[in-house]
Amino acid sequence: MHDRDLIACAQQGDRQAFSELVMRHQNSIISMLYHMCGDARLAEDAAQEAFVRVWQNLQRYQDQHAFRSWLYRIAANAALDSLRRERPAVDLDSLPISDPDTGPEQTAEANQRALQVRQAIAHLSPPLRMVLVLREYQELAYQEIAEALDIPVGTVMSRLNSARSQLRQELLSLPEEA
Amino acid sequence: MSQHILEWLPAYHDGELSAGRRQQVEKHLLTCPDCSAELQAIEDLSALLKAEHSPRLTSPERFAAQVQLRLPHSSPQEIHPGGKVLPRWVLGAPLALLIGWAFLQAALIVTAIILNAVQVFGLQNQLWPNWVGAESLIEAVGSLFALNLGLLVLTAGLWSVWLAFWWVWNRSQNLEIGTDRI
Repeated sequence: MHDRDLIACAQQGDRQAFSELVMRHQNSIISMLYHMCGDARLAEDAAQEAFVRVWQNLQRYQDQHAFRSWLYRIAANAALDSLRRERPAVDLDSLPISDPDTGPEQTAEANQRALQVRQAIAHLSPPLRMVLVLREYQELAYQEIAEALDIPVGTVMSRLNSARSQLRQELLSLPEEA
Repeated sequence: MSQHILEWLPAYHDGELSAGRRQQVEKHLLTCPDCSAELQAIEDLSALLKAEHSPRLTSPERFAAQVQLRLPHSSPQEIHPGGKVLPRWVLGAPLALLIGWAFLQAALIVTAIILNAVQVFGLQNQLWPNWVGAESLIEAVGSLFALNLGLLVLTAGLWSVWLAFWWVWNRSQNLEIGTDRI
């Protein structure tokens, strides 16, 4: 069944159809929120909150907008609210556990790198982080990001450039162009 | 060497350039080590970010069940009855009607001016020798003008009242027309 049909059923109060929608989109939403918050528990909680808001506002959803962009917008707002309420903890649980194919040293190195990446992303301001996450992890097109965040495409590009610049300074220690 | 194209590299990396611009960038990259190094740095950063694995997730079924537990008992319709944003026809249909009335009004004004001018300058006998009904035609145009003006004002008035009603109702429901912060 197409998303559009599920939405129409859910708008009428069909909870089963809504559950199907949740299952279809939960991975991408939690993944986006995880990279936004840097904390798996907080990300799942924000994702649940986002889907509750989707249910509450489903009647206001317009067909001419992509459901995915609308969903990302709600999730982004839920993430910002979560971050305001709660400071994310360093999420050691989500770091890779020792892999039998790789040695403990390599695992430790990978963990260290993952932490550095997460911290560098956490140092970005929320607007820059949001654009970066939607592009790098969710692989949304500039236009989709613009729709999801309700900003012009030019702003998407400038925020993305700023985010990448800051990350490069922190992670790759590359000299910046004049 | 041609001028650097650093500003196009992020969009090139993201696959957001037009075909023509992409070819231009690719051609430049063949001869410019500085821009190639910059592109490599963008790609390295992207690879580094993507190397970070996703967290272990709750199964979709379990997650959906958790969401169900948090949903309110009310259906979306009960939460926002008729809570759709303003349909396009609500704006489009009265606007089209107003444009139509305004066009007709302009045509009537032009017709009245022409007929008056013909009468004032006594040209009707030269233009239409067998035609004697100029005055009644002017009267008819005048009546149509008044009727059309009434329709114009009525449509604009009703439309304004309807929009005002919609706006007040939406505000009372704490909703916004168009894009929103949910």
